[in-house]
Amino acid sequence: MADLFPPLATAQVDAKTKVDEKVDYSNLPCPVPYDEVHREAYMSLKAENFEGFRFDFSKGLNQKFSLSHSVMMGPTEVPSQSPDTTIKIPVAHYEFGANYFDPKLMLVGRVMTDGRLNARLKADLSDKLILKANAQLTGEPHMSHSVFNFDYMGKDYRAQLQLGNNALVGATYIQSVTPRLSLGGEVFWAGVPRKSGLGYAARYETDQMVASAQVASTGNVVMNYVQKISEKVSLATDFVYNYFSRDVVASVGYDYILRQSRIRGKVDSNGVTSALLEERLSMGLNFLLSAEIDHKKKDYKFGFGLTVG
Amino acid sequence: MAAAKASLKIKGKGKGSKESSSKYELFKDWTNWSLKKAKVATHYGFIPLIIVLGMKSDPNTHLFQLLSPV
Repeated sequence: MADLFPPLATAQVDAKTKVDEKVDYSNLPCPVPYDEVHREAYMSLKAENFEGFRFDFSKGLNQKFSLSHSVMMGPTEVPSQSPDTTIKIPVAHYEFGANYFDPKLMLVGRVMTDGRLNARLKADLSDKLILKANAQLTGEPHMSHSVFNFDYMGKDYRAQLQLGNNALVGATYIQSVTPRLSLGGEVFWAGVPRKSGLGYAARYETDQMVASAQVASTGNVVMNYVQKISEKVSLATDFVYNYFSRDVVASVGYDYILRQSRIRGKVDSNGVTSALLEERLSMGLNFLLSAEIDHKKKDYKFGFGLTVG
Repeated sequence: MAAAKASLKIKGKGKGSKESSSKYELFKDWTNWSLKKAKVATHYGFIPLIIVLGMKSDPNTHLFQLLSPV
């Protein structure tokens, strides 16, 4: 549980010694990947709240191989015509999963009772080039998605090329500009709704805080700030603004990592309050409690679960 | 006569463009067919692939160890 910010801490150890002496611009640390620019903020603000009952059983057979069985029972939301009412349908499913972890190859597969397959692959093609693939396959035609990412890690930059089905092409690039500041940009072109987009991101981090911002041509502006109060507590705040649809959301969240439990919660400007508690009952047995209350839409979601292994 | 010549010309043009576009069409059809087969193969074979790789890696596990609840 103490490995909350491992890359952040190592980057800051290098950064502090360099800032104390003089900034050595030829020796900057490698930045976080472009997709993870908001990583610390989303750990508290985008916790995985769920509704209903959840049971996960994970069995390790080998150093590298494990199987998992997971049962979920609860109401699932169905998109409804008016935005004020939410329609929920009770659903139960069982999911079987298999994982294979190798230093150079990682394969994760999950299959549900209705035949949907969720597959992930991560392969180190060379020292600096990583291939990642993610696919959701269903029996229904035209409902499957797959995305392939090629990541190249340079000395103080990262570049990524993304190819998806339905003619989706994207590229991102992020560069460390000073030991604490990294800037990045992305460009993508989607074939099916014929549109292309451009985006920029910036991230400033120190030992105690991380501030990041992202602007995209879809009209989204995201800014967030995370402050690490102590080893156990961190607070985060987030501001999302879309300048085409004029939607604004601001949220404040917390993340407490204690010896036997971890509790994360947030309060939103949409009137949503949520919290997620993960408690370690004993070795390998975790108890989960999740709550999400939407006062505006009057939608109350409570969930509990158990994770074994 | 003129109508016959015109119709021959149109036929000739049509055949020529059909030949060049038919190669492209063949290529597109072939890639679509292979992608469909790859999707079906991944859908059915990904989890068995992981299981086979896992069972072959270092201490070799047997099938009954997969099925037993311990």
